[in-house]
Amino acid sequence: MRAAYAIVPLTCAIAASAGAASAPNADAILQRAFDNYRAKSSVTTVAMTIHRPTWERRLSVRAWTQGMDDALVRFTAPAADAGNATLKLGTDTWVYNPKLNQVIKLPASMLSQSWMGSDFSYNDLAKSDDLITEYTHRLIATDQTGGHTVWTIEADPKPGAPVVWGKVVLKIRDDNVFVEETFYDQDMKPARQMTADKIGLLAGRAYPVMMTMHPLDEPNQWTRIETDDGRFDVSVPGYFFTLSNLQNPRS
Amino acid sequence: MLAALAWRNLWRRPQRTLLSLLSVAIVSGLLVFILSFQDGVYGQMKETTLRIFDGYAQLQAPGFADDPTLDRAIVQPEQLAHEAEGVPGVTVAAPRVNGFAILANGPRSYAAIVVGVDPASEARISSIASTIQEGRYLTASDTNSAILGDLLAKNLGVGVGGKVTMLGSARDGSVAADVLQVAGIYHSGVPELDRTILEMPFARAQDTFQMQDAANTIALSGPSLSSVDHALPVLEALARRTGVSVRDWQDMEPAMRDVIDLKYATSMLFYASLVLVVAFIILNTLLMSVLERTREFGMLLALGMRPSQIGTMVWTELLALALIGCAIGVAIGGGVTLWLQSTGILFPIDPKLLAQFGVPSRLYPSLSLFSALAGPGALVLAIAIGGLVPFLRVLRLTPALAMRGA
Repeated sequence: MRAAYAIVPLTCAIAASAGAASAPNADAILQRAFDNYRAKSSVTTVAMTIHRPTWERRLSVRAWTQGMDDALVRFTAPAADAGNATLKLGTDTWVYNPKLNQVIKLPASMLSQSWMGSDFSYNDLAKSDDLITEYTHRLIATDQTGGHTVWTIEADPKPGAPVVWGKVVLKIRDDNVFVEETFYDQDMKPARQMTADKIGLLAGRAYPVMMTMHPLDEPNQWTRIETDDGRFDVSVPGYFFTLSNLQNPRS
Repeated sequence: MLAALAWRNLWRRPQRTLLSLLSVAIVSGLLVFILSFQDGVYGQMKETTLRIFDGYAQLQAPGFADDPTLDRAIVQPEQLAHEAEGVPGVTVAAPRVNGFAILANGPRSYAAIVVGVDPASEARISSIASTIQEGRYLTASDTNSAILGDLLAKNLGVGVGGKVTMLGSARDGSVAADVLQVAGIYHSGVPELDRTILEMPFARAQDTFQMQDAANTIALSGPSLSSVDHALPVLEALARRTGVSVRDWQDMEPAMRDVIDLKYATSMLFYASLVLVVAFIILNTLLMSVLERTREFGMLLALGMRPSQIGTMVWTELLALALIGCAIGVAIGGGVTLWLQSTGILFPIDPKLLAQFGVPSRLYPSLSLFSALAGPGALVLAIAIGGLVPFLRVLRLTPALAMRGA
């Protein structure tokens, strides 16, 4: 889901051409946006701000991705959280905690829990390409905003798809950037919304460098993701996505 | 004078009167016992279930019930617990930290509810301490010990003395990580608890979950559920003053409340039909006797008695019958109930089977003013209302026709 590639731009295996927008076909628009957002591989530095009514925390994260399924996320600051890491291989997720010096595999029942206290869940990390594979897409509106064409696409779960949302509505700009994404619950009430607050250039591509996730039932609560630095289509060594590298980083 | 007449009339046919009395007495005695028994069983069921973990009531941080996050915290919980213990009807109050974490042992990991408890007061509220199967319960001197349910222990593949790794989110969003040593394994008999709950020392839970000087809930207990229920208004006032909320047993165990309500509703149907049947039997008997006595009533009318006086006399006979019968029934039924209340009734059913429903194998009826008087009261009322039928019939009598027996 969107939340995931906010943090971890996972690569899409089917690398469709990231050419200019021509025919407004919903599947193609979404695919191009994904391809822009994720590449074959990526290394990004992200600042995550978690805002709560009573406190706010700012975490620094370094993330590596390879292909569609593999991701490693390592927290670098603050000191209390530095060293904690999450590794995703296929559908399995492990966490490493430096205090315990242990790797723990997450049970399936925990995947819907908050990831590091943020408004993202482990599922957001683990099921990143659900939106393409588990939903059907339909272009419902085309608007002009600030010199860009913005497409609104409604994604409805395929029958029997193992997803939690009733539907997802996405706004995508003609330069293949996600502008807004609203998740509706099974009662078709908007449950949470991610907005691109700032779109800039990152390693030569238009990119939502600042995004905020708002749970809509908690007014004074949000998580903001700012991507400070990113490299795409770089080669990440294979050992990176292993349990031993999760516990004992080689780099 | 009418009452004396009615009384004398009753004993003109002693056999019929005694039989009527007997049926009223048996039914009202039965009602007293059944109602007391039902109250007693449900009371025990509630207490047994609540004693496992919930406590008879809880003080909670506002909103914790709907959204049980660490952020919903009670500050200075020890002080509030101390105040709650001062409320008459409440004898023990135990603050708890309720965290959520992954427990892991090697490659095995399971989600669990991690509860920080004060061992001494917790043992007086929750029966988990007394269902330890292996090892021991927590003690005040424990620092890194934990107890967990047998199903959770089995899932994790950990035994007494083994180590469990815990990883969750602390109150401030940071990582809550700890390693605990298993001191004991409990078997509460409730799979949801045995599979999910780990208890650890309160202070360490506060430390691990960044809950300094805070707790999420305070579990309360007392000599009985009703004593805590009676203390609820005072607890409400205390809660309002300190900005927390009170949850009573019905709020904590809504499913149990619904089941009990449903059972009461269905048994009420049964009681009502019992009362109706007996009332009709008695009325039938009386109507017969009124018909038999038509000539006698004609004579009384001819002597100058007004129809309403005769009607009242008949109605008084009926009421006397009902009241005396019920009094006997309440006395005998209440006596038997009181006796069984002290000895208990042992059911020859597998105790394990009963335990699934939170029912012990020895059951105690519970006699109360309500259970003693509700059934018989309803019976008297039904007979008194039904007695209007013969009363109205007598009103229609005229001396000449009645004397001819028409």
